[in-house]
Amino acid sequence: MKMKNILKQIKFIPVVLLLLVSCEDLDLAPENQFTDSNYWTSVDKAQTFLNTAYSQMQTSQYFFYNEALSDNAFNGRGDNAGAASIGAGIYDPSLGRIKEEWNNRYAGIKTCNLLLENIDRVPNADATVIARMKAEARFLRAFQHFQLTTWFGDIPLIKKDPSLEEATSVSRTSHAEVIAYILSELDAIIPALPKNTQYAAADRGKITVGAAVALKARVLLYEGKWDEVVKTVEPFIAMSYGTYSLFPSYEGLFQQQNEYNSEDILSLQYVPQFRMWGEFFDMAPLSAGARLNALAPTQELVDSYLMMNGKRINEAGSGYNENDPYINRDPRLTNTVVYDKYNWKEGDGSSHIIYIKPGTSVGNAADEFVQGSSSTPTGYYTRKYYDTQHLTSLQSGLNLMLFRYADILLMYAEAKNELNQMTSAVWDQTIKPLRTRAGFTDAAALSFNSALGQTGLREVIRNERRSEFAMEGLRIFDIRRWKTAEDVLNGYAHGAKFGVSSVDNGYLRVNLRTFDPDKHYLWPIPRDERLINTNLSQNPNW
Amino acid sequence: MMKQSNCRKKKMLCMHFFLTIILICGGYNNVTAQNQKTQVTGVITSLSDKLSLPGVSIIDVSDPRNAVNADFDGHYSITLKNGTGSLRFTMIGYKPIELKVNNRSVINVVMDLDVSALDEVVVVGYGTQKKRKVVGAIDQVNNDAFKDRPNVNATLALQGKAPSLTIQQTNSEPGAGLNLNIRGISTLGNNSPLIVIDGIVGGDINALNPADIESVSVLKDAGSAAIYGSRASNGVVLITTKKGSKSKPMSIQYSSLTGFNSPKYFTKPVHGYENAMLRNEAAFNSGETTAVFSAAKIAELKANGDTEWFAEEIVKPALQLNQNLSFSGGSDNSTYLVSLGYLDQESTFVGPKKGQERYNFRINLTNEYGKFKLTSTLAYSKQKITDHSSSTGTLMADAFRVPLYYTQKDKDGNYLTNDVLQQFNSLGILEQGGFRRYDNDDIFGAFNAEFKLSNSLKVKGVFGGRLWSGSMYSRVKEVNFSPQGVYGADRDTNDETRKSLDLNTQFMLEYSKSFGNHNVGGLIGVSNENHSDRGIGIYKKYTDPDLGTPTSETVIGENSYNSNGSSSKNSLNSLFGRASYDFKDKYFAEFSFRYDGSSKFRDELRWGFFPSGTLGYALTKESFMENYNDKVGNIKLRASYGILGNQNVGNYQYQTTYFTFQNAYGFNNSGVSGTGYNFANPDIQWEKAATFNAGIDADFFKGALSFSFDYFDKVTSDILVPPQVPGVFGTGLPMFNAGKVGNKGWEISATYRHKGKVLNHSLMVNFGDSKNKVLDYGGKERLSGVEELQVILREGLPFNSYVGLKRDGIFQNWDEIKGAAVPEGLSVQPGDNRYVDVNKDGKIDDNDKFVFGNPFPRYTYGATYNLDYKNFDLSIFIQGVGKRTMMIRGELVEPFHYNYGMTMYTHQLDYWTPQNPDARYPRLANNGTQSNTNNFRRGSDMYLYDGAYARLKNVQIGYSLSDDVAQRLGMSRFHVYVSGQNLLTLSKVKFVDPELSEFNNSMTPSGANSGRAYPTQVYYGMGIDITF
Repeated sequence: MKMKNILKQIKFIPVVLLLLVSCEDLDLAPENQFTDSNYWTSVDKAQTFLNTAYSQMQTSQYFFYNEALSDNAFNGRGDNAGAASIGAGIYDPSLGRIKEEWNNRYAGIKTCNLLLENIDRVPNADATVIARMKAEARFLRAFQHFQLTTWFGDIPLIKKDPSLEEATSVSRTSHAEVIAYILSELDAIIPALPKNTQYAAADRGKITVGAAVALKARVLLYEGKWDEVVKTVEPFIAMSYGTYSLFPSYEGLFQQQNEYNSEDILSLQYVPQFRMWGEFFDMAPLSAGARLNALAPTQELVDSYLMMNGKRINEAGSGYNENDPYINRDPRLTNTVVYDKYNWKEGDGSSHIIYIKPGTSVGNAADEFVQGSSSTPTGYYTRKYYDTQHLTSLQSGLNLMLFRYADILLMYAEAKNELNQMTSAVWDQTIKPLRTRAGFTDAAALSFNSALGQTGLREVIRNERRSEFAMEGLRIFDIRRWKTAEDVLNGYAHGAKFGVSSVDNGYLRVNLRTFDPDKHYLWPIPRDERLINTNLSQNPNW
Repeated sequence: MMKQSNCRKKKMLCMHFFLTIILICGGYNNVTAQNQKTQVTGVITSLSDKLSLPGVSIIDVSDPRNAVNADFDGHYSITLKNGTGSLRFTMIGYKPIELKVNNRSVINVVMDLDVSALDEVVVVGYGTQKKRKVVGAIDQVNNDAFKDRPNVNATLALQGKAPSLTIQQTNSEPGAGLNLNIRGISTLGNNSPLIVIDGIVGGDINALNPADIESVSVLKDAGSAAIYGSRASNGVVLITTKKGSKSKPMSIQYSSLTGFNSPKYFTKPVHGYENAMLRNEAAFNSGETTAVFSAAKIAELKANGDTEWFAEEIVKPALQLNQNLSFSGGSDNSTYLVSLGYLDQESTFVGPKKGQERYNFRINLTNEYGKFKLTSTLAYSKQKITDHSSSTGTLMADAFRVPLYYTQKDKDGNYLTNDVLQQFNSLGILEQGGFRRYDNDDIFGAFNAEFKLSNSLKVKGVFGGRLWSGSMYSRVKEVNFSPQGVYGADRDTNDETRKSLDLNTQFMLEYSKSFGNHNVGGLIGVSNENHSDRGIGIYKKYTDPDLGTPTSETVIGENSYNSNGSSSKNSLNSLFGRASYDFKDKYFAEFSFRYDGSSKFRDELRWGFFPSGTLGYALTKESFMENYNDKVGNIKLRASYGILGNQNVGNYQYQTTYFTFQNAYGFNNSGVSGTGYNFANPDIQWEKAATFNAGIDADFFKGALSFSFDYFDKVTSDILVPPQVPGVFGTGLPMFNAGKVGNKGWEISATYRHKGKVLNHSLMVNFGDSKNKVLDYGGKERLSGVEELQVILREGLPFNSYVGLKRDGIFQNWDEIKGAAVPEGLSVQPGDNRYVDVNKDGKIDDNDKFVFGNPFPRYTYGATYNLDYKNFDLSIFIQGVGKRTMMIRGELVEPFHYNYGMTMYTHQLDYWTPQNPDARYPRLANNGTQSNTNNFRRGSDMYLYDGAYARLKNVQIGYSLSDDVAQRLGMSRFHVYVSGQNLLTLSKVKFVDPELSEFNNSMTPSGANSGRAYPTQVYYGMGIDITF
């Protein structure tokens, strides 16, 4: 009886006990995050989303280390952004950089697609603003696809945000189709974008119609569609897309006080103190506060700079003296590369001499070339983009230019020459102002020489691009589209004449490189990506 | 704090006195109740300490209602009907004694401690069980394991104590991560077991004072762990703290240990001049035409001798002090324990004092009043840690890499930079670069009320939790180096505080009753556990160099956050229960379950049911085994099967969330915020582990030798694992329930105890193995890079097996190279690694990779030998791992690693030269050369080492005063000893500590396998232990 009672009670006990325990609510939401239902409620929130897409455009590491993929520089310590491996041609589809570039760019595309697919949910928004923001996002999406197709050739084309299943089974779209899509996108957004003169000052750094046209021109240039390049840049030079001009000082172009100058079409935005890049910690002379050298200009780059008289150093009558190689050179050399006995200027007006030649220093010997040490392996350091107003550890808030007006001029010159339409007038509109701005005064360097012919001029224009844009990350794309990579990326990259004279005339051999034209013009599709998605084919010979 | 405890002590004394009076009065009442008949009196003493035993029950066997208790001094007096009956003396923890009265009027009794292992009580989930009734796979570690050991925390104290409880360190640095693992890898995420302290989930095992621990139960199988349901799949560790004993006078125990930790490196750099020659050799092999060091310079280096190894200069032996004081005792219906603990573990880094201090205070009380029993626990722990302001890995690596021809500091006290470290000086940073100070308060309390509804039915309520409040204050101070380089020019002053609260409420109903030979037990309960935490962080730059206060240039860092920026909550509601049945202690059956609802999953998928069943059979209780039982011992067989869960995933993953962050980008030179997003997995659900366990327990020679063996087979399905997301998708995804991992293994433990007149000794050995295998991963595989190598997740292979090229010796000459397969795009030379071309396509690439071993240890073992001879005692503890693949990399393997390291080490000298064709390592060549890329950038099994080892973990030699001498001095025990830790290591890898793991508890790389590792600590010390 008693037992029965107890058993009876037991049945109810769990119910009673459950009531006793204060049932903590199991529906919990984070208090510092929005959910899908309450995010798309204002233009400001859509703008911060768009800001993320901007931030994904490019990293400063790629901006600088891409130079070491080319014959302009050497990544001698570590394998930063894969530059040592790719530069030397000793990489495979599992290289981190390959996968990272792929992933980062598709991450940028996702942000754009999510914005484009959700921004219309924002209530009571100004239609013009929304249209402009959409155009900005479409520019960024086109830019990311352009970078991808330039490296990889055929790529998955992601016009709308994919489901996981779609992303796992998508196949590659042909390079031509991707390019056609990019161009059509750029044409479509041009009407919705303001000119650089139309944006408020607070918006400086945003995508302008000028940026969209510059990207379009670059796409066409890389495709070798010369007549279309001409058609695109001519109205640009006629100031139809905004007001642009060469900044008067080449040196000043890369300094903080001249940010947002008339030459800057689109740059990666950095903010002193709050959003900075720090690559110079591994690029500047050690006596200027670098911890070591990981990126150094090569002798090949130094040799490419013209003499003040416009001649190449190995041309007859150039006046080049191998024992005093840095005088009477294109002034852009000094604004770009740090060489032995360089007069290094600091922001506070002070300066000191950089001694690089072994055993020549007076005082601080940190910069001297010592085989295998933490100083430069080539005998050169970098000056361009050194921020004299840097913060600790050479951290800088200087904007890094992706498109500048000089590029428009050089694209125009190159296209005109390829169309065999190079004239004195075009020359005086393009190369001459660039050389004048650089500091050339000799008429021989400034005036058009029709005797060179198309082939000779091609070399001149190409070399002009190299000197103008050295250490700005563009060289690798140029040698790839010119198909000259196998000429300049095979054999040794060299450093200054600090070696024994019996080997390569005393120029340091710093890195043995190989470039297989049947293989290396396209990067391999990342190994991991093909493991996940078996529909992705591989590029030839990988 | 001392004051408070004194006060508490006084209160306890008063209470003790009061209760004693009640006890004596009770005894008096019994005496006056009866007279005339035979009266028997006597004193009861304990055999072990010769002290009187209060509270023993004395029962007249012929008339069980006639019973008395011995008084405080062990005296008793009982009146019997006649002088021919028997008396039965019983006392918890002592062997019962039955004596014929034989008309004696005085019977003095000596009672012996009941050490029979079979009557030990084992702590199980939500209760205790007699050991003879235990049918789950449970290892119990008692406080002997923690006593007198210089362990700084309870986790390290458990190392090697239980089979298949693997404890690995990722680093030897005080406070570095510890991996606690039961029975190997069975999930792809976190493999940490659930920790339950005094019945409350959510305490910090490392905040405990090891001296306060009474026992640790390791629940390994589904049978014992299923009652913890959704969090039990990695096993459960139940920690019970000490309590006072009933009817015992106050015992005061004091122990103190003082010792030194000395840093020990397993390798050292080659001589300076030797290094200079090696640098030249590498340069020459790389086609360099200029020597790095001239012959004259080398001669000079040789003449001057070595300078110093920076790594040795930044460490020193450091003091470690443990002090414990406890008071405990009890009356017949209450017990108390008050303990104080202090630990001071100095860091072995030089510079201003660094290290950790921990203060522990604990009160454990039990009170009984009739049918009501109250247990209350309050523990407070304060932890103060002072650290340098940099990262240990960087400090170590930078000091480790410098050859022996530089100095760190000159005569004038300048910190020097050099060709290897242009901007860093570890010594300067340690001595003057500022600090990080942590100050953590941890309050743990539990309140456990029990009410007996009837003799067989109890209701229990538990309320407890933990309040943790931690803060970090740090200053980075500017140190200028010479001739160049600066540290901490930002002059950061940072503060972080965080507070978390874990609350746990439980109600239970417990039933136990015997019906003749049928013993029935039941438990049903409900609980809620919830966790919430909030924190703030303030980060300021360019603060005053002296005070760290704001100045006109000070800026507040963008990463500063308010409390809503760092807050989280989760909650778990549960219903759980257990039913057990046994027949004559011979046949056992047990069923337990838990039904859990978690806030981590969406409404419809929130609840999970986790049942288990266990059967046991005490074979030797059968009548046909009686002979065996008498002559040999006991045998018990047991088996269990059940489903366990795991919900070790982040909060809120079933909802897509958007978060904003500052300075994502900038326009017009001012920062703008960005929005990031975390994609949801709305279908996220419980992980489930189906676990089978079979075991046998046996003892021999009347319990002198006990032995147990377990076999387990566990299949975890719906494993929470980040899905394989293609880059094209554009973002990561939270965990998905995908994949299945099987984990099988066994473990043996054996204990032999010998008790003699002058010599007692015991040997405890445990040995275990587990082997995991990925059973299902949707037909896919996941490769993740771990530095030069990769680890693979592939069906049929152990989780995270290493993948890389297989070395096939070294190319000896150009003929061998001709036509040989080499990595694509590379040209090699004699002396370079040759790799196996698996697919025979004439080139070495991704298709030629091999799968090697995995980093999780197998055949783990521990052995403890204790010996008492007269007044001397000796204890030796050895532990190790029988099989493990260890990845070692960085400067420890590659000479002049990436040009970051500038010295070679003595263990690397066996490299290839034409004169040394059978070398361990390839020829020397500079970073970036084709040879270097071939040999070191194409990850191969050259980076994999045999991680098996045996380590003499602890040796201790002690002396105790004999009881009479101690007593004369007013003590009941006096013990002094010396002890040493990490004394000797046997391993195949000589140049790194084989105990360190390159992976943390989630099997993600920890980075401890290079020159970044903190040196191993070798401890020597002495201690005393006094009981009053």
